[in-house]
Amino acid sequence: MIVFVPSPLRCRCGGEAELQVNASDVQGALEVLAKCQSSLYGCVCDETGAVRRHINLFVNRDHIRDRNGLDTPLLENDTLFIMTAVSGG
Amino acid sequence: MNERVLLAIGTKKGLFVAESSKHRQQFTLRGPFGEGVGVYSSLIDTRGTPKLFASSCNPFFGMKVLRSTDLGVTFHETGSAPAFPNDDGRALANIWAIEPGKEENELLCGVEPASLFKSRDGGDSWELVPGISNHEHARKWQPGNGGLCMHTILRDGHRIHLGISTGGHYLSEDGGETFVAANKGIGAGFVPDPFPEFGQCVHKIVGHKDAPGRLYMQNHGGWGGWDGPGGPRPDIGVLRSDDHGHTWRSIAHGLPSDFGFPMVVHPHDPDTLYVVPLEPMTRTCPGGSPAIWRSQNGGGTWEKLSQGLPRRDSFFTILRDGMDIDHHTSPSVYFGTTTGQLWIGREGGEEWECLFSALPPIHCVKVAII
Repeated sequence: MIVFVPSPLRCRCGGEAELQVNASDVQGALEVLAKCQSSLYGCVCDETGAVRRHINLFVNRDHIRDRNGLDTPLLENDTLFIMTAVSGG
Repeated sequence: MNERVLLAIGTKKGLFVAESSKHRQQFTLRGPFGEGVGVYSSLIDTRGTPKLFASSCNPFFGMKVLRSTDLGVTFHETGSAPAFPNDDGRALANIWAIEPGKEENELLCGVEPASLFKSRDGGDSWELVPGISNHEHARKWQPGNGGLCMHTILRDGHRIHLGISTGGHYLSEDGGETFVAANKGIGAGFVPDPFPEFGQCVHKIVGHKDAPGRLYMQNHGGWGGWDGPGGPRPDIGVLRSDDHGHTWRSIAHGLPSDFGFPMVVHPHDPDTLYVVPLEPMTRTCPGGSPAIWRSQNGGGTWEKLSQGLPRRDSFFTILRDGMDIDHHTSPSVYFGTTTGQLWIGREGGEEWECLFSALPPIHCVKVAII
């Protein structure tokens, strides 16, 4: 499966927009990032492992909160999108 | 190299650096660095080769620490930012203070939720300081309006003073190994006990190297009209200690309000200090007429300094780290406002001029002579 990286975070993973990851669910994908892309992971999750407040994760078109959260399964052709929420001022 | 004056101005939209010759007549501005991201603390570290540090408090991607080794021309992230151990259960929410540590390459960092971190390598790696971060009181502290922040780190030899909102004043007398709550005489208006052991909303603590043992504190005042349990609590907002912070007494008499955030001491005279009284409800300038207030006798009496400041219709706030003073023989005072104005008060605040009128809301201002 693919992890899509938004442009503000690509400097954290060598400029790549997409990362190939082997994982069976979202939690597993994040654990791969924690191991292989620690700088990127630190921008997505805090030190407790929680997804940061203003980060939204989508599997294909579905927000993971509307599926099974971090337990949402991932298939081979899925894309996990890391998106920034609309917030700020 | 000719002496220059550097200002590190932390704003809601990043860090700006202003630079002038030692005459302080014309300042040029560069930035923002860490653009678009709030900066709540900065440091101009003049030990050895000068360095600038700024916390970059990104609500999307978490906290970073920026460092400049070329006097604020370029900034880069340090190797890491403070972070709680994975099994701690707390997550870093903000960085409120960066201060020099004991050794040349050592930094101390106060964060939200209120905890202290130390770096031994100039900000590339950080370790939790357990004596205060895991203090038995730590899980009982409550957040103030700005969050549960450790905003003041004041080193005095082997002593370290910490200001926590709302936690109060904590003192270490063994170099930071252990800390005790030292709040005798520091009032609180938002709990039934007017003088609790801890939990006060301290706003700022300052000291002076030439007056060992003396400290000044801007505490959360504005409780003179309180009519609940314990009765009114007037003048608890501006305080002084003469015993290294073990006990405190009010020096607020004569000020138009004992509420405020920043406080600075004259670099060459420990009896001279500056505060910014604000209306406690709005946290803006009383009557819409800004003024800095100065005492030249350690808080015994106060005088208003407002020459050059607007006389009316000005309702800005100056936040806890929004004021600083340079170390010239005749120092200038600087403050930044939540409305994005950066002011200089020449001759120790006798005459004020607006240097920059339309910056983003200003969180913190630091000045150094390089």
